[in-house]
Amino acid sequence: MNDTIVTDSVKRFKWVGTRPIRPDGVPKVTGKALYGADYRLPGMLYGRILRSPHAHARIRSIDTSKAEALPGVKAVITAKDFPDQKFDYIGPERVAVNFWHVTRNIMAREKALYEGHAIAAVAATSASIAEEALSLIKVDYEVLPHVIDVDEAMAPDAPLLFDDMITRGVEPVPTKPSNISKRLEFKTGDLDAGFAQADVVIEKEFKTAAVHQAYIEPHACLAHCDADGQAEIWSSSQGHFQMRALTAQILGMKIGDLRVYAAEIGGGFGGKTVTYLEPVATLLAKKSGLPVRLMMSRDEVFKATGPTSGSSMWVKMGVTKDGKLVAADGIFKFQAGAFPGSPVMNACLCGFAPYDIPNARAVGYDVVCNRPKSAAYRAPGSPISAFAVESVLDMLATKIGMDPLEMRLKNAARIGTPTIYGPKHAHNGYPETIEACLKHPAYKAPLGKNQGRGVASGYWFNGGGESSATMQINADGTVLVATGSPDIGGSRASMAIMAAETLGVDYNQVRAIVADTGSVGYTHVTGGSRVTFATGTAVVNATKNVIVSLCKRAAMIWDVDPEGVVWEDGYAKPASSNVGDFKPLSVREIAAKSAQTGGPITASASVNAGGQAPGFSTQFCDVEVDPETGKVTVLRFVAAQDVGRAIHPSYVEGQIQGGVVQGIGWALNEEYIYNAKGQLDNAGFLDYRCPVASDLPMIETILVEVPNPAHPYGAKGVGEVNICPPMAAIANAIEHAIGRRLTELPMSPPKVLAAIDAGA
Amino acid sequence: MSAAPARVVFTTGFARRYTGSVTEFAVEAKNLRGVLREMDLLFPGLAETLEEETTVAIDGAIHETGYFQLVPPGAEVFFIPKIEGG
Repeated sequence: MNDTIVTDSVKRFKWVGTRPIRPDGVPKVTGKALYGADYRLPGMLYGRILRSPHAHARIRSIDTSKAEALPGVKAVITAKDFPDQKFDYIGPERVAVNFWHVTRNIMAREKALYEGHAIAAVAATSASIAEEALSLIKVDYEVLPHVIDVDEAMAPDAPLLFDDMITRGVEPVPTKPSNISKRLEFKTGDLDAGFAQADVVIEKEFKTAAVHQAYIEPHACLAHCDADGQAEIWSSSQGHFQMRALTAQILGMKIGDLRVYAAEIGGGFGGKTVTYLEPVATLLAKKSGLPVRLMMSRDEVFKATGPTSGSSMWVKMGVTKDGKLVAADGIFKFQAGAFPGSPVMNACLCGFAPYDIPNARAVGYDVVCNRPKSAAYRAPGSPISAFAVESVLDMLATKIGMDPLEMRLKNAARIGTPTIYGPKHAHNGYPETIEACLKHPAYKAPLGKNQGRGVASGYWFNGGGESSATMQINADGTVLVATGSPDIGGSRASMAIMAAETLGVDYNQVRAIVADTGSVGYTHVTGGSRVTFATGTAVVNATKNVIVSLCKRAAMIWDVDPEGVVWEDGYAKPASSNVGDFKPLSVREIAAKSAQTGGPITASASVNAGGQAPGFSTQFCDVEVDPETGKVTVLRFVAAQDVGRAIHPSYVEGQIQGGVVQGIGWALNEEYIYNAKGQLDNAGFLDYRCPVASDLPMIETILVEVPNPAHPYGAKGVGEVNICPPMAAIANAIEHAIGRRLTELPMSPPKVLAAIDAGA
Repeated sequence: MSAAPARVVFTTGFARRYTGSVTEFAVEAKNLRGVLREMDLLFPGLAETLEEETTVAIDGAIHETGYFQLVPPGAEVFFIPKIEGG
């Protein structure tokens, strides 16, 4: 059963909050939708990438001569074909991009830093010729010692990935290089004084495995380059504007010389906000003079694209007998992969954010190791610290004999609660999710033998930022809404709903599309739970601009002043009886006169949307542990989330269910298994165990609607925070089932069995 | 009588790098453009750094660091690291 709890006075909408059929549904279920690998052009070449078999190796030389001589091979490239980039961290700290690193991740230069690191690429007239060409490329490697684990990578004698990496954020500046790219710290209050007030203090160490976003569709793109240097790319990504910008920078092209089209996307979850293939395909196309398609195999996806970080953490928290949290401390060490840039800062900012804790500190370390470079994954960083923090919280609640939800409610952040990073919370929403779980009948339901119930919560910022939308009124009164946001979670339906609601027309009269970079204004990625909020605001603003135009056209038809026309329920109407006695004009009737009143009716809007509200989620689950095998079965899962206002509730529920399922996989099974040579042994869905439907109960959602006044319809981002609580909720449930605390993910059967045996 | 100045706050790490470890400033400004201008007068070049590297929380509500953001009298203006999601 799914449920919705509305906390404000109910405001009735015609379309917002309804569940119409998604406009992209038919092509998807009939197999007609075009994904990255589906695009073809006449004369298209097949690209393939040669990848390092070694986890860490110096590249002494690359000989491509035999590959280039193979009939059918039209282009071969290595890192030498790419312009080198300046070593410089550009942009904000969390997302600082160093293109010296980015270009080396796309194509290795001095060293191969992980198994699967791209070494060279070919384009040929067939896939088999391209494959054969790869076998003719001779690479002379000097194999080096490697390091996979984050704690081992931080050791003083660890093999160094970069001989000149000096840790940033440490004073005095270290004199010796290490694998620690950065240290950061956030602090509030007085930790010693806080812990002195505590009646119970618990500290614990935790480890989490790196896990992949596990999108179904492998990366793919098609590129062609004209003789005048202008290029076009069809790409499956979370942001075609982002792909345009990154490709232009990597290849030294002008942004205006690139046009990128958004293919349908078969999942991204953060992992398709970065580029791997687009610059390579474009360069091969430029060199060969022919279109080139590149697509990854599943093996390549696992070995060469970003998982989220694995981690090693320590968390200490103190509570009074009556359940008031008084102090919290955490050290979070994250694998960045082969290049700096893990989401450890987010982990530090989010871990304690749901709570009013007067004395707190979070220290983070960004650590390179011989794994693929980490990439964003659903609320990047937050689920990892939440696993540690929410586990310790549960232990504290047990120790003082308090219900874990009641303890969370007592300490819940509300408007005005300070955060560890400075500002006070400006939005409610968290207590409401806890109360929703407390009121749920299953929360007090009896449990059977070997069963346990666990709760946990999570926090995520949600995003705003730059988005654009264009609206066109067609001659028959139908409406086209074009945005620059790739549709991953049903955003075309949501955009059409908001446009229909604002314009006052039928949903089926509106067609929403994803426009290419040449056809709509700049729009940031589909990520960070920002699209319904930011792009939705742009759509509403564009619609309002169209309404102004429609009123002017109606005024022209009636030959009255524009001020004498108002827009109500999809019709232009006289503002008062003084204006005259006119029959209201519909969009269709005004559109039919567009030529006579000034030409096509169109409007655009661009925003840099701010005032986004964060997401809070509270969840509980019941598990049963098989004492013979250690297998954990999830019997029930209830997820309450503050969603602001659900524009299309089905897709909001889908986001919550998807996030929870990914969290269950992270909790119980998913991990990268490396052999002694630093090679990945489970690069496929048979051995990298994602949950499937038969592993899961129905994920029950509770949509808690605390509207955000900064959005025209109250929407908040809903795509990410749902993945934050499941790992801790399941760990807490397992402890209550077997009396043993598991602190390392995944909590797979061997680990659970070992924990049971240790307590026997 | 002029309106109450805004309380402009930086994280400790940011202040160490850019403002001589001073984390708080009182700034009279109607919008974020004014805040940036005043901070740039105190620390030349700081405005550009803030525009590129930070998100701003005005009385707790998070915004992009855009000139147009209004700063109410007595507001608390926190510059925090920019966040990127998945």
